[in-house]
Amino acid sequence: MFKTLTSPIRNTSGMARWILLAGLIITAAFVIMAIFAPWIAPYGFAQNSSDGMRFPKMGPPSAAHPLGTNDQFFDILSRVIWGARTEVTVVVLSVLFAVSVGMPLGLLSGFLGGWADRLMVFVMDVLYSFPSLLLAIVFAFLLRGPLGGGTFAAALALTAIYIPQYFRVVRSTTASAREATYVEAARAIGARNGTIMGRYLFGNVIQSVPVIGTLNAADAISTLAALGFIGLGIQPTDAAEWGYDLSRALDDAQSGIWWTTLFPGLAIVLLVTGLTLVGEGLNETVNPTLRKRRFRKVRMPANEPTSALVEGEV
Amino acid sequence: MSADRGSLPRYIVQRILLVIPMIWLALTIVFLLLRVAPGDPVSAAVGGKLDAAALASRRHSLGLDRPLIVQYWDYIKDVATFNFGQTISDNRPIIDVIRDNGGATLTLTLGAFLFALVFGIPLGLLAGRYRDTAADAVIRVFGVVSYAAPIFWTGLLAVILIAPTGWPTYDIASPVTKFEVHPVTHILLVDAALSGNADAFWDVLQHHVLPCLTLGLLLSGVFIRLVRVNLLHSLQGDYVEAARARGIAERHVIRRHAFRNALVPVITIIGLQVALTMSGAVLTERTFNWPGLGNQLVKYLVARDYSAVQGLVTFFAIVVVIVSVFIDILNAVIDPRVRY
Amino acid sequence: MVGTLAACGGSGGGNGGTGDNGGGASDQSWILGTTETVTAMDPAGSYDFGSWEMQYNIFEQLMRVPAGQSEPVPDAAKSCSYDDPQTITCKLRPGLKFSNGDKLTSSDVKYSFQRNIEIADPNGSSVLLGSITDSSDANHPKLGDGAIETPDDTTVIFHLNKPDTTFMKILTSATSSIVDEDVFPADKLLADSKVIGSGPYKLAQYKAGEQAVLTANPNYSGPRTPKTKQVFVQYFSDPAPLKTAIDSGQIDIAWRTLSPTDLADLEKNDNVSVDRGQGSEFRYWVWQFGTKVGKQKAIRQAVANIIDRDAIAKNAYDGTVKPTYSIVPPGFSGHIPAFKTKYGAQPDVAAAKQLLKDAHIKTPISITLGYTPTHYGPNTVDEANELAGQLNDTGLFKAQVQDAEWEQYQTLYKKGAYDLYILGWYPDFLDADNYLSPFLRDGGFYGNNYSNPTVNKLLDKELGETDKAAREKIIEQLQKIVAEDVPLIPSWNGQNVAVAGKDMSGVEQTLDPTYIFRIWTISKNG
Repeated sequence: MFKTLTSPIRNTSGMARWILLAGLIITAAFVIMAIFAPWIAPYGFAQNSSDGMRFPKMGPPSAAHPLGTNDQFFDILSRVIWGARTEVTVVVLSVLFAVSVGMPLGLLSGFLGGWADRLMVFVMDVLYSFPSLLLAIVFAFLLRGPLGGGTFAAALALTAIYIPQYFRVVRSTTASAREATYVEAARAIGARNGTIMGRYLFGNVIQSVPVIGTLNAADAISTLAALGFIGLGIQPTDAAEWGYDLSRALDDAQSGIWWTTLFPGLAIVLLVTGLTLVGEGLNETVNPTLRKRRFRKVRMPANEPTSALVEGEV
Repeated sequence: MSADRGSLPRYIVQRILLVIPMIWLALTIVFLLLRVAPGDPVSAAVGGKLDAAALASRRHSLGLDRPLIVQYWDYIKDVATFNFGQTISDNRPIIDVIRDNGGATLTLTLGAFLFALVFGIPLGLLAGRYRDTAADAVIRVFGVVSYAAPIFWTGLLAVILIAPTGWPTYDIASPVTKFEVHPVTHILLVDAALSGNADAFWDVLQHHVLPCLTLGLLLSGVFIRLVRVNLLHSLQGDYVEAARARGIAERHVIRRHAFRNALVPVITIIGLQVALTMSGAVLTERTFNWPGLGNQLVKYLVARDYSAVQGLVTFFAIVVVIVSVFIDILNAVIDPRVRY
Repeated sequence: MVGTLAACGGSGGGNGGTGDNGGGASDQSWILGTTETVTAMDPAGSYDFGSWEMQYNIFEQLMRVPAGQSEPVPDAAKSCSYDDPQTITCKLRPGLKFSNGDKLTSSDVKYSFQRNIEIADPNGSSVLLGSITDSSDANHPKLGDGAIETPDDTTVIFHLNKPDTTFMKILTSATSSIVDEDVFPADKLLADSKVIGSGPYKLAQYKAGEQAVLTANPNYSGPRTPKTKQVFVQYFSDPAPLKTAIDSGQIDIAWRTLSPTDLADLEKNDNVSVDRGQGSEFRYWVWQFGTKVGKQKAIRQAVANIIDRDAIAKNAYDGTVKPTYSIVPPGFSGHIPAFKTKYGAQPDVAAAKQLLKDAHIKTPISITLGYTPTHYGPNTVDEANELAGQLNDTGLFKAQVQDAEWEQYQTLYKKGAYDLYILGWYPDFLDADNYLSPFLRDGGFYGNNYSNPTVNKLLDKELGETDKAAREKIIEQLQKIVAEDVPLIPSWNGQNVAVAGKDMSGVEQTLDPTYIFRIWTISKNG
């Protein structure tokens, strides 16, 4: 089990490994913050006093508040840590929803071709042609009613944006892979559709998912922040959200109060960067064509012609 | 796989014919989403001022109390006859909104793309060519971070840094320039150039720098990463192998074969980025008070101005659909496997 | 930028000369920045700050409120006065002209009111003209039969359908702007850029959402002589760029609306001054009488005892707002601090406890506070949290806050989703009644189910009373009833704030509760 999990790291070398490692460490740090927020954070996410003492308003970093306090009297360190929980939840939920809807549809559509394919492409293209932020805004409006202004509504609102993206990429990979030699070969030897989709196409297509997945995870965080910026994000008393804090802090930054905008902003940049690095690192391990070829020269082995061209390192 | 299946002209005609139902579907989705969303233009504007009866009479005069299906039918009928109507909240013909504000969005996004191309592609190629070196590492991290930073955050940072120098930090031109430049094309940059007023042109140009740079930085992050990956792909391609096998110098292999092939997918990237750019433009426009469509869209959305939002989104959808169809066709010309 | 502006300003100066007399008006043009938006330049199609602001500068009304005063004085009229509580006679100044040269007569005045009422634009403000409206057909309101009489070119007589002492004030508002009957269509709005009037300025250019250019009206002969020949009004979609613009000197005046943090920072900038005038914006918490909590007077009064307005002003708004103790703002004739008299200036938890004990109400009481996150600005949530904190700290309440976007908020508060909810108000005209009738008559516009026959009777009486002192008595009485019944709890009054470059003069004087930014009184030196 451990071996399988660490195989992407072991399979890489040099910079690819460092990138993957750096990404994993950053992401892991945020995931740990997210899971253990109640224990790590010194205060609650909407706590403005302790032991009956009001926190300072926009207090600079100090011993009591290492990252300072913001204009709502909240402790910024606590907001950042609790925020990790919100972001990770939203990202995991939205990517999970989007993948589980977008990928099977794309696979099916790309493999089947014909009218079913065209219809699905048609609908997805229309969805995709909306500016994603607009779609997110409208869905955020819609979902606030039944689900409240919290995390779950935000995740669902983002899902709507990403389904077409998974669909598109998966479908076009499938459509190209369908014509590939090895699939032709599989078909020629009588493999059934289910087998082809499950074994050959899925294996091929799944490789592109982590890349879009991390891209989308990154994008989800940015979009969430953007919703906060326009004033339609998660409310401060529902959950801590960096985008909201950032939008509140924009005014402060112009007034020389740097700590209210720096830390939530940094958290966004770091988590998005971490996720993207993981995605890119994974991409290089899963996707053999991106790996550096160790052996350029063709050796002529005695019995095993297939290993003549060994890609990557062992 | 029948014989005529891959015919290119047929594919193109199919794609173009699909545009009409696509736009119809887009219209329908927008219409429904807006009506399902709570509130209407009346309550958004004066809900905190008038009593229920007065609100109802205003809704009536706007025809908002008619059955949904009737409103939908009227709306589709109007659009079919290219009648986009007027905004509800400030009585502007939608066509005017698109004309007056579209130019600003156009020059903003083109400028950003230009920056991203000029900046992102060479960096991406460089990173791919010298993979796993320090240069590669720096460029990649730069690419990731520039995409990761929220655009209104970087924008604000830029504004704070630049504003004290006296360089313009908001809007597309100074008031005097706007007053003096006579609208011909409704693209201010072009109009300023046409007017022959060098001061005005320089003024508009100056105003473009910061927003284009901010949005361009975000895009270049995407470009760097995708160009780099594409170069790596093509460096492993059969034709590159073949070129290498023929004993062509690595330098030539990279320049002649790999670079060119790495850049073909950039076309697709551009197509994929149009929607992203629109979203980025909304935020950039708000940060820099840019008089573009994105800014208008948010304003009208908040005002629940049905006809304005419907009109603008339709316009966005048309642009994106046309671009994506164009890209698909281009791809089909380049790569026959895509046709179906 | 300074360099660029100067360069452009040079060529702009030449252009500015194409227009106007300006008779002593300064050539030094200046830029006003604002986040307000314009719904329509046509007076028949607007009911909002941004539009009205432009109309006050472009049009004349019969009467106007001079800066810092509260009683109307003549504008296009030479005189207007009540013959009885239902009749007003106005005499026009002789020789009035629109900026296009057309004569302005009593017929234009009548036409203006008539088209405003009959167009009944959904964005319009013809509801204010109820006293001269015949609304027997609810969907097609008409100017009342014989409601406006024009015996000659310079005389206008209004016959009101009920005693209405506020109508004189309505004559000062932008909805009463006088338009040219030969230019403005009778049944629809005129396009924004074509709008002309007889006011001190004319609209030389209008780019929706971007900017308006005003140049001095050469035909203007009234008392509001423009001090500057050409003024630019720039529209901002967000306060952040507005703040940068004024901070870096790219605009000369920023008026409405900067955040408390921005204002605090701008105080430190030596090149600009932050000018604060009295405002009439009103923020208040409404009790929903339809809920179990809201219908109990003891609870309502207890909260009125507990609320700490100073803490709200300080913690949620950085002291940029003024705590208020009455439904009628200070400065309006008849104002008394009724809540301070009844509940004291400082919070009194012991009194609250006693009230609840006497009424046999079990504590802690669960109470839901409602707010809306964007419509009234981002600080609303802070006020809601502050008040909830104050209630919880007493141990008498278990308060929780809930929010909804403006749209849903309106339905939710009417439906009784919150026991206590926050709303804001700007007056349509400067009269105490504008804070009374819309709020107190049978549940008010916000539908809180409060109804008190005594209040209704007093409202009718106050509207029909032309004697100032007698009317003030009734208004005082109403405020006392509000403090006793507590249909709402007043929270604070806003200020009218502008930030102006040090070389601007006349800004401070125009910052009064009318929120009319009198562009004609302002000039840039040097």
